[in-house]
Amino acid sequence: MSGTESIAFDTPQREQRADTLAMWVFIGSEAMLFGAIFLVFLIAHIDFGPAFAAASKHLSLALGTFNTAVLITSSFTMALAHLYALHRRWRATVWALVATSALGVCFLIVKGIEYGKEIHEGLAPLLGLPFRYDGPDPTHAEFFFGLYFTMTSLHALHLIGGIVVIAGVVALWRAASPANRVRRVVAVGLYWHFVDIIWVFMFPVLYLINR
Amino acid sequence: MSELRKLTFGYLGLLALLALTVVSSTLDLSGFNVALNLVIAVAKAIIIAVIFMHLRGTLPKLAVAAACLWLALLFGLTLIGR
Repeated sequence: MSGTESIAFDTPQREQRADTLAMWVFIGSEAMLFGAIFLVFLIAHIDFGPAFAAASKHLSLALGTFNTAVLITSSFTMALAHLYALHRRWRATVWALVATSALGVCFLIVKGIEYGKEIHEGLAPLLGLPFRYDGPDPTHAEFFFGLYFTMTSLHALHLIGGIVVIAGVVALWRAASPANRVRRVVAVGLYWHFVDIIWVFMFPVLYLINR
Repeated sequence: MSELRKLTFGYLGLLALLALTVVSSTLDLSGFNVALNLVIAVAKAIIIAVIFMHLRGTLPKLAVAAACLWLALLFGLTLIGR
């Protein structure tokens, strides 16, 4: 063990296990944050079902499906990074990390295109933008779009955080010891997969309800 | 590398479930659409957690169980209290 390693743990394996447990506890606390918002959406959906179903049809199913596939693929490349790191195949690990963050950026660009489309159609009740909606029950449709922007932007913020951390891991790659490289890839991987799981629930809830 | 094969199967399974959930939403299953979509989402989450996140070991499972318990309380008590 070199001098730059942690002195709090006897072995790198122990530190790895402590890291992993801490990430799972952190993910549990994040699940509380998203769970509360999903609960608000569920209650609103029970109360204003028809209005929510009609509003949901204004979202782009094609772009939403494409983005889900992009995020699933990014989880796959992140899992590859983990696998390569365990086998000490560093170059392949870095490429898998770069691919993962590139797919994350792709997701954000498509989400931005969707936001632009919705703002253009007057479906974005935020930042004082005009809300124009000619379907039934515009009051509760506005509530739907408010929740849609809250949920998706909170998710996008988490994705941006993941991309920044991956960029940091890659930037510090050369200076890191093998054990630290593996630990960082495992930790950011757990976070990235969790953000993917959140989207796996958001996609059907927002895009597919009673379509 | 059998691990690589496992990851690839997980990935293909996720894409298949995505196709299934989108196609099912175009069919009229008379009230079962939402339930089916949520069941598929849970299945995808389990694939990601077990295959991609390597959820194993007592303590990580305990952390997940604790999170699920609190979410169940949050959703359960709110829905009962309505």
